[in-house]
Amino acid sequence: MSPALVEVEGLAKRYPAVGARGDRIAALWQLLRGRSPGREIEVLSGIDLRIARGESMAVIGENGAGKSTLLKLITGTLTPSTGMVRRHGRIGALLELGAGFHPEHSGRDNVRMAAAIHGLAGAALAAKLPEIEDFAGIGRYFDEPVKHYSSGMVVRLGFAVIAATRPDLLITDEVLAVGDERFQKKCIRWIDGYLADGGTLLLVSHSLYHVRKLCRQAIWLHEGRIAAQGEAQAVAQAYETWLEERDRDEGSAAPAGRPEFHVERLELVGNHGAVLEAGASLVIEAGLRGPPGERPHLLVGLVRADGTPVYGVSSEMDEVALAADPADPAAWRIRLHFPALALLPGRYRVRAHAMDPEALRLFDTVERDFELRGPARELGLVRLPHHWERP
Amino acid sequence: MPLAHRAVLGELLLREWRERYQGSLAGGAWLLLQPLLQLLVLAFVFGSLLPARVATADLAFPVFLALGLFPWLLFANAVNRGTTSYLDHAGLIARVPLPPSLYVHARVLASVLIDGLGLLLVLLVLLLGFGLRPTLAGLVAALAAIAVLALFALALARIAALLQVFVRDCAALVGQLLGLGFFLTPVLYERAQLPAAFAGVLALNPLAAPIEALRHGLSGHAAVPWMALAVSALLALLLLLGSLALQRRAGRHLEDFL
Repeated sequence: MSPALVEVEGLAKRYPAVGARGDRIAALWQLLRGRSPGREIEVLSGIDLRIARGESMAVIGENGAGKSTLLKLITGTLTPSTGMVRRHGRIGALLELGAGFHPEHSGRDNVRMAAAIHGLAGAALAAKLPEIEDFAGIGRYFDEPVKHYSSGMVVRLGFAVIAATRPDLLITDEVLAVGDERFQKKCIRWIDGYLADGGTLLLVSHSLYHVRKLCRQAIWLHEGRIAAQGEAQAVAQAYETWLEERDRDEGSAAPAGRPEFHVERLELVGNHGAVLEAGASLVIEAGLRGPPGERPHLLVGLVRADGTPVYGVSSEMDEVALAADPADPAAWRIRLHFPALALLPGRYRVRAHAMDPEALRLFDTVERDFELRGPARELGLVRLPHHWERP
Repeated sequence: MPLAHRAVLGELLLREWRERYQGSLAGGAWLLLQPLLQLLVLAFVFGSLLPARVATADLAFPVFLALGLFPWLLFANAVNRGTTSYLDHAGLIARVPLPPSLYVHARVLASVLIDGLGLLLVLLVLLLGFGLRPTLAGLVAALAAIAVLALFALALARIAALLQVFVRDCAALVGQLLGLGFFLTPVLYERAQLPAAFAGVLALNPLAAPIEALRHGLSGHAAVPWMALAVSALLALLLLLGSLALQRRAGRHLEDFL
């Protein structure tokens, strides 16, 4: 087993709650008495982790799962509430988009500071400075105050410093999400080379593509705990599956009590078997309910059976009002026609959502599956109008 | 101090210098302009409008004032600027694992160095233009006085900066207290000329000794209060130890409150 760069044992982090006016002074008083500061919010607990030299590890999870907190604890800018972090090498971190650049100072001055933090100063820095300037590729902005930079330029500069200092362990937090595509590619190329040369990477990313591409190991954090840990491919897969399941549950879960507006009835008119010939017309009829006198809107989406969206349109977009039921002020009806539906044969699904009268909020979702049958050798989802010409 | 920290300290010092003077037309000239203007106003008000209690038989009032004002400003500026160190560097503290007290030290050191340079220039003017001829012992007293003031400034800045993280009222309070301290320290007046009761009470102010030691040492018109200066130095050291204890207790989770 190669030597560990970072060892994390029983790590937990609790932030003090400082929302109310008296919280801060109360926390100070508690700290002065040698106690923990009053009300706390736990963001991370029970983390055990080992990053060996030459490893590449991704941290994935939803927003608020504790990913950034974990990186900060490993970097050392946060102090653990319990547990410990042991570091055995030079760590270079790009946390929260940037290396702690000061907005009032120029890029050059900030680079000098960031380099000094990484132990690069004096003649060694002077020799590296052109290389950093070149890698960042921000031209004359290099001597402008950082407050005039775009967020992409800040990341470029931060990454350029890291690239020049070549830390033993590189920690990045969503850095690749900010730069433009060309710079992203440059970063990925650099990281590839860095890893090939034996560098070690710890990366937070919401892009599972980057996770799979750059990392061999991954941990999935869920609500401050490790939900899965191991080979990147498997962990990313487990996370993806979980995300899909959660989205599906959210979509079809029986709500606690009916929502204010809801789809009461959804029919494919004249197609009880839900099988259509490709190219035939599709007619959808929906019945909605809501508070009496408040006319809802209807949003209809067509998706392929695997969930790929094909088309969505609402009555509000087309400025159509749902028909009132003369007998019931809380009931509304509407029909939507798709004449000569251009979808290619396959399994599809109609999704209907009830919306409020302003068409701002989505209330519920009702689905009907249907199948389009017919011969077709074309590829894709939809038959686009086209013709061939011999010039 | 590890090598990396020293390089960072160097960069922080450069940054302080830039922050003060970059972008201003007069640039480094403010180093002298600002305290000189202040001296001019105070010398006019307390020399001519409301004459202060000074025995200036052998010392012109502006010279007397300069020898108190500049060391006071050195102390007050350092405390004032040091108080917001942690907040001003919150961005770095959140992203870079360095001991946070480094930022306070850099602030105070930069302020003391910059104001010390100004003080040196003023002294040269006084030596050349006003016939001030300090003895060697006097110069030593002045240097010791500056060191004691700087030590006080460091200790107070460390404490105030830490408290400021928890309670944001601290900076405003420090500003007010420094304003009060200016009048309770013998900068504008000579303590020996006050009614004995007041003079005795004001001697309890540990900043009085260094100010008087510097003034008496350089002007030579009274004896240097060596004993009082030593007591002040001791107090400053105790205060610094206190700030270390405070840091150990409350500074452990500093970043959580920024």
